[in-house]
Amino acid sequence: MTDFKKIEENLKKEAKKLLESGEVSVVLAYGKGFDEKHPMPYAAKSVADVDHMIFNEYCTYNMARYLVRYPQGTKIAIAVKAADSRAVVQLIQEEKVKRENLKLLGIPVMGMKNSKTGEVIDSKTTCGMYNPILYDILLGEEIHGQKTVSPYDVLAEYEAMDKDARWAFWKSQFDKCIRCYACRKACPMCYCDPCFIDQLKPKWADKAPQSPGNMMYHLTRFQHLAGRCVDCGECSRACPVDIPLYLFHKKVAKECEEMFNQASGMSLEDKPVLVNFRVDDSDKILE
Amino acid sequence: MKKTAIEKISELAAALMEKGSLLAPIKETYGHHFAEIQDPQKVDLNFYNTVMSPKGAFFPHKEDFIRYQIGKPVTEAQPVEVDAKPVILFGVRPCDVKSFAIMDIHFNAAGIVDPYWSQRRKLTTIFGYAFDLNQPVDGADFYNSLGVYAADPEGSDVFMVKKGDDLLLKGITAKGEELLGDLKVLVDAGKDDEKFYEETLQKGKEYKTRFLCIDQDVIAKKLEDIFHNNDFWTKVSSACLSCGACTFVCPNCYCFDICDDTLFGKGTRRRVWDACMFTDFTLEASGHNPRTQVYQRLRQKVNHKYSYHVKKYGVISCVGCGRCTRSCPVNIDIYSIIEEALKV
Amino acid sequence: MSNNNPYIPMPVQIAKITNEVDTNDIKTFRLVFLNREDEEKFQYMPGQFAELSIYGKGESPIGIASSPTDPGYVEFTVQRAGAIVPGLVTAALHNMDEGAQIGLRGPLGNSWPIDFLEKKNVVVVGGGFAFTTLRSLINYMLYKDNRKRFGEITVIYGARTPGLLLYKEELAAWEKRDDIKTIITVDKGNETWKGREGFVPAVCKEVAPSPNNAVAVICGPPIMIKFTLPVFFELGFSKENILTSLEMRMKCGIGKCGRCNVGSQYVCKDGPVFSLAQLDQLPRDF
Repeated sequence: MTDFKKIEENLKKEAKKLLESGEVSVVLAYGKGFDEKHPMPYAAKSVADVDHMIFNEYCTYNMARYLVRYPQGTKIAIAVKAADSRAVVQLIQEEKVKRENLKLLGIPVMGMKNSKTGEVIDSKTTCGMYNPILYDILLGEEIHGQKTVSPYDVLAEYEAMDKDARWAFWKSQFDKCIRCYACRKACPMCYCDPCFIDQLKPKWADKAPQSPGNMMYHLTRFQHLAGRCVDCGECSRACPVDIPLYLFHKKVAKECEEMFNQASGMSLEDKPVLVNFRVDDSDKILE
Repeated sequence: MKKTAIEKISELAAALMEKGSLLAPIKETYGHHFAEIQDPQKVDLNFYNTVMSPKGAFFPHKEDFIRYQIGKPVTEAQPVEVDAKPVILFGVRPCDVKSFAIMDIHFNAAGIVDPYWSQRRKLTTIFGYAFDLNQPVDGADFYNSLGVYAADPEGSDVFMVKKGDDLLLKGITAKGEELLGDLKVLVDAGKDDEKFYEETLQKGKEYKTRFLCIDQDVIAKKLEDIFHNNDFWTKVSSACLSCGACTFVCPNCYCFDICDDTLFGKGTRRRVWDACMFTDFTLEASGHNPRTQVYQRLRQKVNHKYSYHVKKYGVISCVGCGRCTRSCPVNIDIYSIIEEALKV
Repeated sequence: MSNNNPYIPMPVQIAKITNEVDTNDIKTFRLVFLNREDEEKFQYMPGQFAELSIYGKGESPIGIASSPTDPGYVEFTVQRAGAIVPGLVTAALHNMDEGAQIGLRGPLGNSWPIDFLEKKNVVVVGGGFAFTTLRSLINYMLYKDNRKRFGEITVIYGARTPGLLLYKEELAAWEKRDDIKTIITVDKGNETWKGREGFVPAVCKEVAPSPNNAVAVICGPPIMIKFTLPVFFELGFSKENILTSLEMRMKCGIGKCGRCNVGSQYVCKDGPVFSLAQLDQLPRDF
């Protein structure tokens, strides 16, 4: 079982060291919320700030989403779990941050919980990996020997649906959408300014929370995230009306992996899938 | 006073559906939610509070104003009639009932009456519902700090209290009493029931939520004083995603956008909910945006609710229902922000 | 507003379009009402604005440029916005011809406080495009039945170049009158320009209007306001006696949609006219 208390101790120790030495000017991690089960993302800018840092099973946030808020060149330390580290790698691939300006504090963890439902989070709603794929300092022991479950297993029921059934499924899900855009803001890869949905010329979709606009918003966002989504599951957790966005992201990610033989955010040497061209790329799109 | 068994609630729902449109809580995967009832079996009173507030009964997420057809030389346009059907809003917690009175002040302010809000308010009968005093309070709620109690009938037309497996219903206003009298499916309550009802109202005052002593003039002035304390605002907003979830679930947020949605020449001018948390809320055509930073927008939200609204309308624009805290993807808690602000 | 619903525009027709500047992006639209009752209900005072509505595009809050003493029509001077953020309504308006129909909601907002200005000397200072509601105020004060209610009227108006001055014919007419002191300046003249050259703040300093029993009404781009206010403070004008008009992004125009607030004041309802003393009470959130 993951020793959350030990990781918290190490996190605070390393954060203090990095801030004291001036190696970084901010440490992005987790802090106390209004109670135990509701921690918050936290940015420590001084050694004194580090006392408010915590780490427990409810710290599901993907801190990579805050990286783009800082001016280029800021030295940042960031606490990353598996999917979070992939998000950081993806952001480096997309040249939004530079590797040399970051100190990654890797957190291998099993048993994270959803604070709204209390359920354990696993590969059904996230990428299912336990260990960060990139880190400078490891804050806990790497987890090995666990049965590997594919993050796409959860798609079995969805893939059994035919086209019409899928359309009906998503239509009924998106009818619930209140267009709060929590999904977009929770996502580390949604950093576009302006976002397509806010543009007036041309106006891609209407603002009213009803079917045509809702479909347009979500389906377009899924497409914009193709090959970029790291399956952290934050969008689905952020949604106040429980739309299972992870199903669509996983489906698109699966297709992308099959077509281009590359998963998002796995290696610093990769180039973003839909920006790069390789001679051996699949021609499937032309069929 | 009237009474009915909670397991027979669908009969009451069916009877109410004959009187008008029934908006009552139903169970969804994500929680409970006020919906227009088509099937009386769906009404479910086994909830703490709904995810979205019931303000949508008077101020819907989308309200069509005008239908138009673009043409040369003239564009044809027809105003859309406001719904004129009676509505019964069933199962509203006391904090949410209070929120309606606060919104009334705004929508009727300065002699300009918002016809959509006021028309719906007139046609709606509110069945308030006391919190279940046997259930623990949710940690996010703080309505006591804003002068609301768990079993407060003020503002409801009919007030309901749970007694074991039964529901007690008391007419508070003439409108409510008349409606109750018409509902044959209800039985008369007994003396014991009336005594229980009164006791519940008293016990409701002792049902405690998180409490902070909030004097509205004190907090209004304090927030004014710390407006330029960027350190404070940057600190409390550092986690904020600037999404809009808090605004949309809040019973007291009223910002809206007016937009023209056209397809192939036919369109509708409508209003939709908007949020001061959105980045381009104050973006001007010149390109200037007074609130480009997250901390400026969160500062606006908190200041509007606890300072500007007090100055303008004499009341805090918040009822402590806890929805914003529960829906926030990063658990930002307005109670904590006010607590911190008072300490600065 | 038609049928008591403040969100529904009244139909109006574009009677005349005047191109005001040599860059062709500022035009004055003269609008006439299609319904008699609408025209009778549309009683306005200088300083107020209205929402110009074009179905399919949206609405735009524009200051009323005509004076209520000119009956039968309402004028709006509109700049085509869109340098950075696309201005849908103003662009569509600029593409319209005389005879086209649009919608109008108003009059909205508060006005220049005529009661406060009575019996006082009024110094009107404007820069560039911000002169529209000032023109409304000046024409109102100059109207034969109104002129004696006010003391001396001084107008200082500047634009970047001579071609960018608005209402050129009217400015020339005012210069010929002896009941108003008109000082026009440009930042940079051209071959034919025989008038003053100089920035508005510097010209104000030179003209040095007296603060005795005087009120200053100042509208202009932020940079002009920034340098003109200190001049008036130095001249001895108090903050209660300096008035200005604010602009914020607006939608409903009637104080309901919550968008245009500065502190507790909705610019569309409690403003747009504010005195500097009033602005001091508000947070710097604009």
